[in-house]
Amino acid sequence: MNQSLLKRYGLHGILIPIALLWISPLLWILVTSVKTRVEVFDASSGLLPQNFIWDNYPAAMAVAPFGTYMINSVLVTGSILACQIVTISLAAFAFARLTFPCKNLIFSLFLLQIMFPIYAIFLTNFITVRELGLLNSLPAMVVPFIASGYGTFMLRQAFRQVPTELADAARLDGCGHFATLWHVYLPLVKPTLVAFAIISVVTHWNDYMWPLLVTNSESVRTLPIGLGLLAKSDSGADWTRLMAATVIVVSPLLLLFVVFQRRFVDSFMHAGLK
Amino acid sequence: MKTTKSTISRRHFLQSSSAAITAAGLFGSSPLFAQGNDEVKLQFMYPVGVSGDINRIVTEMITEFNTTHEKIQVEAIYAGSYDNTEQKVMTSLGVGDPPATWLPINSALQTFLSMDALADVTALAKADDIYQDFLPGFLSICESEEKLYGLPFQCSTPVLYYNKEIFAKAGINKAPDTWAELMETAKALTVRDGSDVTQWGLTFGGGWHDWIFESFVRQNGLVPWQQDKVMFDAPESIDALEFWVQMVKAGVMPAASTWQGSANDFMAGRTAMLYHSTGSLTNLRTSSPFDVGVAFMPKNKTYGATIGGGPILMAKDQPDAHLEASWTFARWMTNTQNQTHWCKSTGYIAARKSSWEGEELKSFINEVPAAKVALDQAAYAGAFLQVPGYHKVREYLKSAIDGTLAGDTDPTGALKEATVKSNKEIERVMRRRS
Repeated sequence: MNQSLLKRYGLHGILIPIALLWISPLLWILVTSVKTRVEVFDASSGLLPQNFIWDNYPAAMAVAPFGTYMINSVLVTGSILACQIVTISLAAFAFARLTFPCKNLIFSLFLLQIMFPIYAIFLTNFITVRELGLLNSLPAMVVPFIASGYGTFMLRQAFRQVPTELADAARLDGCGHFATLWHVYLPLVKPTLVAFAIISVVTHWNDYMWPLLVTNSESVRTLPIGLGLLAKSDSGADWTRLMAATVIVVSPLLLLFVVFQRRFVDSFMHAGLK
Repeated sequence: MKTTKSTISRRHFLQSSSAAITAAGLFGSSPLFAQGNDEVKLQFMYPVGVSGDINRIVTEMITEFNTTHEKIQVEAIYAGSYDNTEQKVMTSLGVGDPPATWLPINSALQTFLSMDALADVTALAKADDIYQDFLPGFLSICESEEKLYGLPFQCSTPVLYYNKEIFAKAGINKAPDTWAELMETAKALTVRDGSDVTQWGLTFGGGWHDWIFESFVRQNGLVPWQQDKVMFDAPESIDALEFWVQMVKAGVMPAASTWQGSANDFMAGRTAMLYHSTGSLTNLRTSSPFDVGVAFMPKNKTYGATIGGGPILMAKDQPDAHLEASWTFARWMTNTQNQTHWCKSTGYIAARKSSWEGEELKSFINEVPAAKVALDQAAYAGAFLQVPGYHKVREYLKSAIDGTLAGDTDPTGALKEATVKSNKEIERVMRRRS
C-alpha cells in the first residue's frame, strides 16, 4: 500500500518542482508585464503586482507595428516550413532509397551545410538575395532557408527505418516514386516531420539577424526586430514593456504547443530527440 | 510615410529607390516612378541604444524632414544595436551599395575610414557654422587628421549616479569630487551582513567598463590611444587600474557586473553609486523608487570623460547631388532646434552651443538639473577608442580589466599584454586594408 503510494506520487514529487522551475521564467514574464516600472526593482513590494497594470501592453504596441510584424512572422515561418517539408522529403527519399552516381559525396556536401554557422554565409546569401532583386521583401527571409541539410539528414534516417518490403508492396500495386513517398513513407515518418517542424518554426520565428540585414521597411519586418527595440542596450532594458511585448511574441508558439501538445511529445519520443 | 500603400507597391517603390541610388538596378526604369527622377532618395540606418521610443522620435523627425524638403526623400531604417547597424552597413558596403547616411558608434570612425567609405565634409562644414557652434569635444568624434567626416548626433558620456536616500541615511550630503573622496564615500556606504555585501558602495556598468575605464585614464591626463595604436600600458593607465583594484580589494565594489544588471542593482538599492551612461538618466529617474542624484565623475589630475554614442556619417560612394542631399539631411538633424528637441526627449546631450543657450533647454535644466551636469562634464570629454579593429581591442582591454579585478593577474602585466595584442590587431587590420 505504502509502496504503491510512493510509486504513484514519488515521481510527481520530483517532477512538480522541476516543472515549476521550467515554468517560472514564463510566470515571471507574465507578472512583470503587468507591474509598474518602479515595482520591478522594489524588493519590498513583493513578487506579485500590487495592482494589475495593463498599460504596458498598449505602450509596448505603440513602439512598433506589432500587428504587421506578427502577420509577417507567420507568413515567413509558415512559408519556410512549407518549402522545407517539400524539399527535404524529396531529397531525403532520394538519399535513402534511390541509387545514383556520387550519392554519398552529394550527401556529405549536404551534411556540410549543417556544420557552417549561418553567420559565415551571411554575405554570400546577401549577395544572392540582392541579385535576385528580393532585398527588403518577405521572400528575402524565406529563400535562403528553403533547403535544410539538417532536415534532410533527419528524414533520411527516418526513411531508412521504413521496411523496404512496404515500398516493394506499393510498387507491386503500381506506385511510382512519388506515390510511394506519399502513400508509404510520409505517413510513417510523421513524428519525425513534426519534430523537424517544431525545430524549424522555433528557429525561424526567433531569427533576428538575417531579417534585420535584408529588410529595411517596417512593412516587411518580423516580431524579433520589434522586441529588439525594447531591449535597450545603452540604458538597461525597459522591463515592463519588454515583457509585455515578449508575452505577445511567444504566445502564438505557446498556444500552438498547448493545442498540439500530445502530438509533439509523442513525436519527440519517436524521433529519439530530447 | 506612405503606409497606406500595399506591401507590394511599397516594395517596388523601395527597390526602385535603391536602384536609383546605384543607377544600375533592375527596376530603375520602372515607368511608375519615372516622374520622380529629380527627387533624391537617401537611406539612413540607425541603431536604437536607449529606448524603444527613440525609434518613434527618429521616424517622426524624418517624416518632418521629408515633408519640408521637396527634393529629398529619406528612408529611415532601424538597424538594431550599434553592432547590428555596423554589420548592416558593412554588408551594404561589401556589395558596393552603401546607405547614404548612417549612425554608428563613434569608435567605428577609423574602421570606416580604413575602408575608404566616408565622404570628407570639411569644406561644407567650414562654409557653415559647424566649427563655431558645435561643442568642440563632440565635434572631435567625427574628426581624423583635421578632416571632418560627419556631424555628432547622439552623444553620451558616463556620469556618476547616486542614491540620495542612502546618502541622506549615512549623513553624506554631497557627491564625491575626487578619487580619494570616491573611495571614502564608497567605504562609508558599503553595508555588510557577515561576509556578504548587502549594499555595495559603488558599481561600474559592466560590458562598457572599458569605456568607463578610458574616462579614468583621461582623468589621469592621458588619452590612451592614437589613430594607429593604444597605450594601455602607460603609467596613467596602470595607475587607473590600480585604483580600481584597490576599491575591489577594499570590498566596496563588485569585481564584475553587467550593463543592465548594474542599472537594476542601482534601482533596487543594492548599490549606492553607479557609473552609467547619461543615456540611462530618464530610465533611472523614472524607475527608481528614490531620488536619483547625478554628478561629475570624480577627478584625479583633472576631470575627464569618454563620449559614447555617435555621429551621422555620409557615404563617399555616391553621386554629388546625393552627397549634397545627405549633408542637408545631417545638417538638419543636428540643427539647433532638433538638437534641443532630441536632448529633451532622449537624455542624449545636445551637441550645439546654441541649443543650450536657447530658452527651451534653459528651462529644461531648471526642471532636470542632472542634464546640466552632463553638459558641464562634456567640456572634458573626448572620443572613445577610435582605432581600427576596435571590437577586438575592446575585448582585449576588457579581459585585462576583468582578469585583474578577479585577482588572476596584476595590473601592469595584464595591461602590457592587452597593449601588445591590441597593437598587433590594429597593425593587422591596417595592413589588410591598405
